[in-house]
Amino acid sequence: MATAIDELVALPARQVARRERLRLLWHSPTFLLGLVVVAFWVLCALVGRLLVPHDPYLPDLLSRLKPPSAAHWFGTDDIGRDVFSRVIVGARGILTVAPLATLLGTVAGTSIGLVAGYFRGIVDEVLMRVVDAFLAVPVVITGMLGLVALGPSTATLILVIGFVFTPLIARTVRAAVLAEREMEYVQAGRLRKENALYMMFVEILPNVLGPVLVEFTVRLGYAIFATATLSFLGFGIQPPAADWGLNLHDQYIYLTGGLWWPVLFPALAIATLVVGVNLLADGLAQVYER
Amino acid sequence: MDRSQHQRLDSIRRGQSELDNHLIDEFLGGYISRREFVRKGTVLGLGLPTLGAILAACGSTTSSTGGGALKKGGKMTVAIITPSGAIDPLKVSDEGGLAVLGQAGEYLAFSDKDLKLVPVLAESWQANSDGSVWTFKIRQGVKFNDGTPMTAKDVAFTVNLHADPANGSNARSVFKGVLSKGNTTAPDDTTVKFQLDAPNGNFPYLVSSDNYNLIILPSSYTGGYESSFIGTGPWKKTSFTTGQGVSYVQNPNYWDKSALNLDSLDLKFYADDQPRILALQGGTADVISQFSASVGQALLGNPNITVLALRSSAHRQIHMRTDKEPFTDKNVRQAMGLVLNRQQLVTQLLNGQSDLGNDSPFAPVFPSTDTSVAQRAQDVTQAKQLVTTAGKSGATVRLDTWNGYEIPQLAQLVKAGAAQAGINITLNVTDAGTYYGDAVFGKSPWLDSVMGITDYGHRGVPNVFLGAPLLSSGPWNSAHFKNTQYDDLVAKYVAAIDSATQRNLAGQIERLLLDQTPIIFPYFYKHMSASKTTVGSIEPTAMGHISLKTAGFKA
Amino acid sequence: MGRFLLRRFGLALVTLWLLSIIVFVAAHVFPGDVGRRILGPFADPAAVASLNHQLGTDQPILSQYWSWLSGAVTGHLGTSLNYRDSVASLLGRAIGNSAKLGVVAFVLVVPLGILGGIVAALNRDRFLDRFITVAGLSAAVIPEFVWAIVVIILFGVVLRVLPVTAQAPEGSGVLTQLEYLILPAIALVLVLFGYIARITRAGMIEALDADYTRTAALKGLSWATVIRRHVLRNALLPTVAVVASQTGYLIGGLVVIELIFNYPGIGYLLFTAAQKKDFPLLQGGVMFVGLVYLTATLLADIAYSLLNPRIRYGSAE
Repeated sequence: MATAIDELVALPARQVARRERLRLLWHSPTFLLGLVVVAFWVLCALVGRLLVPHDPYLPDLLSRLKPPSAAHWFGTDDIGRDVFSRVIVGARGILTVAPLATLLGTVAGTSIGLVAGYFRGIVDEVLMRVVDAFLAVPVVITGMLGLVALGPSTATLILVIGFVFTPLIARTVRAAVLAEREMEYVQAGRLRKENALYMMFVEILPNVLGPVLVEFTVRLGYAIFATATLSFLGFGIQPPAADWGLNLHDQYIYLTGGLWWPVLFPALAIATLVVGVNLLADGLAQVYER
Repeated sequence: MDRSQHQRLDSIRRGQSELDNHLIDEFLGGYISRREFVRKGTVLGLGLPTLGAILAACGSTTSSTGGGALKKGGKMTVAIITPSGAIDPLKVSDEGGLAVLGQAGEYLAFSDKDLKLVPVLAESWQANSDGSVWTFKIRQGVKFNDGTPMTAKDVAFTVNLHADPANGSNARSVFKGVLSKGNTTAPDDTTVKFQLDAPNGNFPYLVSSDNYNLIILPSSYTGGYESSFIGTGPWKKTSFTTGQGVSYVQNPNYWDKSALNLDSLDLKFYADDQPRILALQGGTADVISQFSASVGQALLGNPNITVLALRSSAHRQIHMRTDKEPFTDKNVRQAMGLVLNRQQLVTQLLNGQSDLGNDSPFAPVFPSTDTSVAQRAQDVTQAKQLVTTAGKSGATVRLDTWNGYEIPQLAQLVKAGAAQAGINITLNVTDAGTYYGDAVFGKSPWLDSVMGITDYGHRGVPNVFLGAPLLSSGPWNSAHFKNTQYDDLVAKYVAAIDSATQRNLAGQIERLLLDQTPIIFPYFYKHMSASKTTVGSIEPTAMGHISLKTAGFKA
Repeated sequence: MGRFLLRRFGLALVTLWLLSIIVFVAAHVFPGDVGRRILGPFADPAAVASLNHQLGTDQPILSQYWSWLSGAVTGHLGTSLNYRDSVASLLGRAIGNSAKLGVVAFVLVVPLGILGGIVAALNRDRFLDRFITVAGLSAAVIPEFVWAIVVIILFGVVLRVLPVTAQAPEGSGVLTQLEYLILPAIALVLVLFGYIARITRAGMIEALDADYTRTAALKGLSWATVIRRHVLRNALLPTVAVVASQTGYLIGGLVVIELIFNYPGIGYLLFTAAQKKDFPLLQGGVMFVGLVYLTATLLADIAYSLLNPRIRYGSAE
């Protein structure tokens, strides 16, 4: 996946007032548009079952592969399930896996990044080599290896993606901590011989939350992409989930018969969600890194 | 039948064995159909000329299938499923692998699409009176593709190779209890004798292409099949690339060279179903060997593509643990069988390319199946009542299965149906590896789950389906079904040689299983192959072979 | 510069070694019966047992790691469980195919992406800029498997102008092979284009705004000369780094693309290895992907230093 965020190395978080950032965010059309799109899908994931006109899992063999109509807005799939309902409910799987995996990676990565950046030396060196090792192989391939080893399930999917992201997030946080380290308050704390844990998590962490937040949203985009791809390959979310990637794999063969609706709508769903998350990330990055 | 017909028939009968004459009597008595008579006759080794003569004597004729004019020459590209594992005649146990074995290799006989046995490397065969000793006459003048002649010794060597437990052959599961190591001998260069462990009326199937590991190998064979592709088949390997495909040219030493049309042949391996179908649609493949009807819908209506649908005994089994709640009560199991709308499953989920199942392994395609047993049809009211009477309304069950073919969709439909009868099913769909686990009790969701869906491939005779998944001692008995009456019936069925007895026992087994319903057999789907309309005379089998001996492009 | 490269090389080796540990650990936490996995649930138990015996998967982990690592260093990556063929030779064939596809994709996307970025930067904030940026971003966020499906249906099935599998018949000429590779390459191009265009655009804009550009323009040099001599050279620097970093991405994308187009490259091989739990092949494949990526970044470093002599390489990072 390609976003422009990659090349942005997290700069030291400036002491910009939180209120100022919020004001800027609320005036950023990029951020707002992203927020609306993502909020829509989050809503679908949370209460989608209540919003949909049909049971997304209930097959009806007599109305299979019917084109979009008043009864089925997005048509029906190969066993007569309502595509619209499935697309709406399908947000749940991916929006469970991707954020939890990213959160896992962010929490673990932030902790490791703080430690590495604060202590430097051998800890730092080893850590960065591990990061390099993870970076050398695409997420999809590392994910595939992990999922095959552990057996595909939603829980392992979260674990594996979170695990793969950990070192990447650690590196970003480390860079931010390195800059923070030279600040007066850290130097002063060291002179006071403050507890290292206290320094890292109470003093430094709040000041690097900006880059962490940006990194979180960027990784979230990647996580969504990785989840969809792994599900498409059959290593991710398993049936009968109405997952988008999974549905695409099951239904794409019907395209050749001109039956486009079971494929188009899940594809659009993935695309809009990734665009939404990327817009959020861009908006946040603009505010935190100006 | 007039007098002269009787005389002609009598003269034919004189040369035949006791079993053969029994068969002729069955046919004359109207106990078996013409089609079944021909099939049975081929099993007993009557040979098509003899059968033709008998039929002619009875005022009936055999029909031959015309292929249309094919031109000589050309190269055909066939897209098949990537074989799993190495191409090794001892180890192959999947459709991709056996499709490869059948090109450079040949069997004693080929079990064709009507389950008839066509002589190939054997010219004829005959049993003793009780079917415990079978004698095969081996074709002369056949050479392996390295130029060495093939004799009865090579045949005996090959069969013993597979029958020896030390070699770990996949064919051992077929021979176990039927044919032991060393009991296949070659008294001379043209005769092979099989001394069976017990009488078996269907034995020729067990050394035909149905036992797909059994391509005839030279007695000097010591392994390394992938480098030699040694065999007597029509095609000789020119290159083999692991995981990608095999290229062949005509075998210069082939014994029936005039039958061949193509100059060369390319088998291409495909890991996924969809790209294979696309390859045929997009024109990069001429033939695809097997696809599932649920996925290949686009091919069915395509005017440029010929679809070959073969009735088969391949099916899905929905097992219910007879020793676990709520299925300890047979009423609940029956209810699960009643909630499915099988007709709809067949016409919609499988695009009509399937036979109905009646909750026993007796597929309509098997000649011994007693078709007079009433077909179970959907009856939700009765199902609901059965569940309520059993006091199991509102029970929750987990159904385990794996993500492949139309199985997840079927699981979904079972769940929806069960809900109507008051049983809540939760689905646990995993990958195949997780579902099958180690394939032994205690280490496999397939064998341990309360409810599950399992895929079974085609078999030429129902014996395996009757045994492994349903016998009290069956290694694949995921329903944990233990019924001594059933075990007895199956033992009798396997030993039975004449059709009437077989059908009678089949009927009893079918009724018993309908009553007990340890396993739901919803449908027996057809084996689907497809080719461009310009391609002629390819011969797929429901087992997964694709014989291209006479294949060619239309002139 | 020699010292810098030497250090980089050393680090790459350390990275590879760490990767080998990660991969080996992942490959050995799996449970289950390897022979059963290969032969399937219905295979005869005796056949499974005899295969397991042949494979000898019952040795202690550490000694397995050691023998695997020492083999890997000399190019012996073991034997594929599934194919019973040498992993190294399987990978060798596959990487050749992937390289062909990758080259076609890169040859298409790099000039296109750079051109797109330049055009966008020169038309900054005007319609063309917006269009390129938005189109590029939109194309990039749609997963490659969606693009692959779209191009297959459009060009292969509806229009029937291009083959839908990527592998040309044996013995085909370069042009025929190219014809077969265009569709999968297009799917990759669509995903990569926006990224490269955006980086180039950003680099261009930075260079256009830089003091040296203004100075050059003030000196009276023609606009074309300024762009060529000053802007492009500086703008392309980040692009080089990005293109190299995309090699890794490209291989990830190849898994899906090669599967859909049934193209026997490294991605396809890794997919089938994962499907069959063929761990020796998976291990070897992942190591190989890592090696390719690290080599590409090393080459990018060299290219970067050649393009930008001002960069000093004394410091660590």
